[in-house]
Amino acid sequence: MDPFESIKQTFFQECDELLTDAEQGLLAMEAGDADGETINAVFRAVHSVKGGAGAFGLEDLIRFAHVFETVMDDLRSGKMELTDEVAKTLLRAIDVLADHVAAARDGGAVDEGRSAPILSEMKALIGGEGLDDDDLGGDEDFGFVPMTVAIEGDDAPAFDPPALDESPAAFEPMADLAAEPASGARVWRIGFAPKSEMYAKANESGLVLRELARLGEMDVKLDADALPPLDQLSAETAYLHWTVLLTTEADEATIREVFEFVEDDCVLTIEPADGQASPPPPSSDLSDDALAAASADAPLDIAALLARVAGEAPTSEAAREPASAPEPPADLDVAALIAKAQAPIAPAAPKVEAAPVAKAAPPAGSSQAITPTATIRVDLDRVDRLINAVGELVIQQAMLSQQVMESGLARSSNVALGLEDLELLTREIQDSVMAIRAQPVKSVFQRMPRLAREVADMTGKRVKLVMEGEGTEVDKTVIERLTDPITHMLRNAIDHGLEDPEGRIAAGKPAEGVVRLRALHRGGRIVIELQDDGRGINRPRVRGIAVERGLISEDAVLSDEEIDNLIFQPGFSTAETISDISGRGVGMDVVRRSIQGLGGRITISSEPGKGSKFTMSLPLTLAVLDGMVVTAAEQTLVAPLSAIIESLTPRAEDVHFVGGKDAVIRIRETFVPLIDVGVALGFRETALPPGQGVAVLVESEGGGKAALLVEAIQGQRQVVIKSLEANYQQIDGIAAATILGDGRVALILDVDALVTTQHRRKPAPRAEKRMAG
Amino acid sequence: MSELAVTAQVSLPPVLDLQAAEPLRAELMALRGRPMALDASQVTRLGGLCLQVLMSARKIWVEDGVCLTVDQPSSGFSEQLAAFGGPELQFQPEGGLS
Repeated sequence: MDPFESIKQTFFQECDELLTDAEQGLLAMEAGDADGETINAVFRAVHSVKGGAGAFGLEDLIRFAHVFETVMDDLRSGKMELTDEVAKTLLRAIDVLADHVAAARDGGAVDEGRSAPILSEMKALIGGEGLDDDDLGGDEDFGFVPMTVAIEGDDAPAFDPPALDESPAAFEPMADLAAEPASGARVWRIGFAPKSEMYAKANESGLVLRELARLGEMDVKLDADALPPLDQLSAETAYLHWTVLLTTEADEATIREVFEFVEDDCVLTIEPADGQASPPPPSSDLSDDALAAASADAPLDIAALLARVAGEAPTSEAAREPASAPEPPADLDVAALIAKAQAPIAPAAPKVEAAPVAKAAPPAGSSQAITPTATIRVDLDRVDRLINAVGELVIQQAMLSQQVMESGLARSSNVALGLEDLELLTREIQDSVMAIRAQPVKSVFQRMPRLAREVADMTGKRVKLVMEGEGTEVDKTVIERLTDPITHMLRNAIDHGLEDPEGRIAAGKPAEGVVRLRALHRGGRIVIELQDDGRGINRPRVRGIAVERGLISEDAVLSDEEIDNLIFQPGFSTAETISDISGRGVGMDVVRRSIQGLGGRITISSEPGKGSKFTMSLPLTLAVLDGMVVTAAEQTLVAPLSAIIESLTPRAEDVHFVGGKDAVIRIRETFVPLIDVGVALGFRETALPPGQGVAVLVESEGGGKAALLVEAIQGQRQVVIKSLEANYQQIDGIAAATILGDGRVALILDVDALVTTQHRRKPAPRAEKRMAG
Repeated sequence: MSELAVTAQVSLPPVLDLQAAEPLRAELMALRGRPMALDASQVTRLGGLCLQVLMSARKIWVEDGVCLTVDQPSSGFSEQLAAFGGPELQFQPEGGLS
C-alpha cells in the first residue's frame, strides 16, 4: 500500500478509537458523572481528530470538528454550563462527526440535512464566536482559523519575508512584550525540533506552528543551521527547528496540547520566558554546531538545559520561578559544561531522553500521564495462519502421544514424560494464540449507543442504554458476527419492547426506558444479555398471530416459555406497522439462526408489564472446543463439554417409552427424553436395548434437558474444530468435525439440533410433566 | 555564463507535503546552475519538508551565484511561510539579471 495511504488508514483507525472515547465521555457527561478530566478528554479526542484531518486536508471534517472543539473548549473553561440539552446536542454531534470521518474515509458525502442543523445548534451554543463561514472557510490550506502572527510580512500577500540570515535580531519586539505582558498573558519560549518520524507520520510542522499561533501573539525564529545544500539533502529528513516566543493567556497544558500528536516525534521544550534568558536551541541532537551557535547567540538557561541533558524533567514550577533557580553565571562556558554532563551518555542520548521528559512531567489534568500499553497492528490473515498452524500442531501432538502409548512405552518413560510436557506447552501456545484473537466486545457495544439514540429519535421514545462488561473478551470471528444480532435485538427492544413516554407514565414507570446490554463470561462461554423494562411480550397477541399464521394449531397447549419462543419462528413479526426501524422482513428467526451459526443459543424470558430479557450464550472461540469423546454405533463422536451436565449408566427400569415409541429416562425423579445418538444420526436402525450404554445428560439452548445414549465414553479432550460446511456440507445433528489423535475424523455433535429434532417429533416438556406427575 | 542561461520556470504544485518533497528536490536539482523562477501561485499548502527543499535549494543557488525568485506567491503560501518564521527563499546576485 502507498505509505501515505497507509498512514491515512491508521488515522482513520485511530479516529474510531478517539470517537469511541469521546462518546463515552459525552455519555458520562450526559449522565452527570463527568468531571473536568472527562470534558478535557473529549476535547482532546475531538482535537486529535481535527488535527489529523488537517494533515490530510479533510475540509468538511475539520470544519465540523473545529466547531465541536470550540464548544468543548468553552465547556472546559467554564464559559459554558454543561446542561442536559448541551450534552444531548453533543451526543448527536459526535454521531455526525463519526459520519464525517466515515465520509472522509469512504469518499462519500455527509448528509447535510443531518450535519447542518447540528452545526448550527453548536454554533448557537457558543454564540457563533469566531466561527463565521469566512473564518472556517477562508483558510483553504489547513482549515484552521488564521491568526495574527507577529512577524513581518504576515498580512501582506506580497512576498517580503525577513531574510533568514539576518534573523537573530527577530526577538527584539518580544523583549518589550516580556517586560510588559498583557493582563493575564505570559510569554512562553517554545523549542520545537521535529524529527523525521514526525513528517513520516504525515504530521506537519507548519500545522503545529499555525495551531500555536491561535493561542496568541507569536514570534517565530527558524533555525536552519543543520540544513545542508540541496545536493546533500535527503528530502524526508527533518533539519529545521523553531524557537517560538508566544504571548498568550493559555497555560502550559494548553500549549502542550498543540503538540499532542507530535510530542513523541519531536524535541519539545516549553518554558516561561523571563526576558533575561534567551532561548535554548531546540536542537534534535544538541550537536556541537548547534551548541556553539546557541552560546554565541546568548547565555543559555543552564539549569533547564542541564536538566534536559541529564534526562531530568525540568519542572515547570522551577522554570516559572527563575528567582528560585540558581542564577547562571554569565561567563560560564556552557558548551563545556554540557559536554561534561553529556560525557557518560552516548551523543544521541539526549535525543532519546528528551522525548520522555515531556511525558514524565505532564501538565496537571492531562491524561497523558497514563502510558498506553504498547500495541502492534497485525493483519488478521497472519493471525489466522498462526491459529491454523497451532491447530495442526495440537492434532499432531495428540497423534504422536497416541502412537507412543500404543507402542507400549511405559508412562514413566522419558519419552512419555517429555510428551506430557509437550502437551502442556502446546496447550499454552494454543491459549496464547487464541488470546491474540480475543477482543473485548467493546467494538460491537460501542456502536449501540448511537443506534439507541437514532431508534429512540425515530420512534419518539426515550431510552437510556446501560452497557456493562464491554471489556469481556471473545474471539474476533465471534465478535464480527455479533453485531447484526445485537443490532437487531436492540432495535426490537426499543421499537417493540419499550412503551412510548406517555404509555410508560400511565403504567407508573419513568418516561425514559432503560435497556441494559451486558456481556459476561459464564461456564467457558460468553453470555450477552439484552434486557428492557418495557411492556414485556404480549403473550395472547403472540399466540393469536402464531395461530393466524398457521405456526401452531388453535388448540395447542403451550407454556409461557413456549409462547415466548414463538417469536423466533420464521416469518413471525408482531409489528402491526412495518416501521423503518425493525420489521424489515428480518425477524427474530434470523437472529436465532445467526446465533446458532456461531454455535450459540438464544433464550428469552419476559414478564408482562416489566420487560423482556434476551440471553445469548456463545462459545468464546470457533477454533477449539472442549469435548467429550464418545462412541456410538462404532463411530467416534465428540459432544461439546459445555452442553453436558453429567453422565450415567441407565438402568433398564428407569427407561420408559411414551406411546410405546419415544424413550424417556428417569433421572432423580424427573423424566427427560432419551435420544439414541446412533439412531438419531442414522448410523443404525434399532436403538440400544434399555440398560445398555451410557447416557449423557445434556442441556439444550432452550434450557430443555435430554439424555444422549451412546455406547461408551472415551474421555475428555480439547479438539480443533474443522468446518464441515467448508470441507463437505452441512449435516443435521452435526456441528462440525475434528481430527483425532489416531488421524481419524470425528464428528462433533450439535446437541441443540439433536434435542430440538426430538422436541419436534414429540413435545418433550409435556411428556415429562405427565410422566413425572 | 549563468546570466545568459534561460530562466527555468518551475510551477510549484498546490500541495507541498511529505509526498511532494522528494519530487521537488529532484526537479530543482536537475535545474542547478540555471536562473530559476518558482511560481507559487497555485500553492495552497506548504509543509516543513518542502520548505526545507526550497531553503536548501536557495543555499546552492547562492553558492552558484544564480538568481532564484519566487513569483506570485499565493496567500496560502505567504501565510504559511510567515508562520514558519519567514525564511528568505529568493536570491538576487549583485549585478545579476533576474
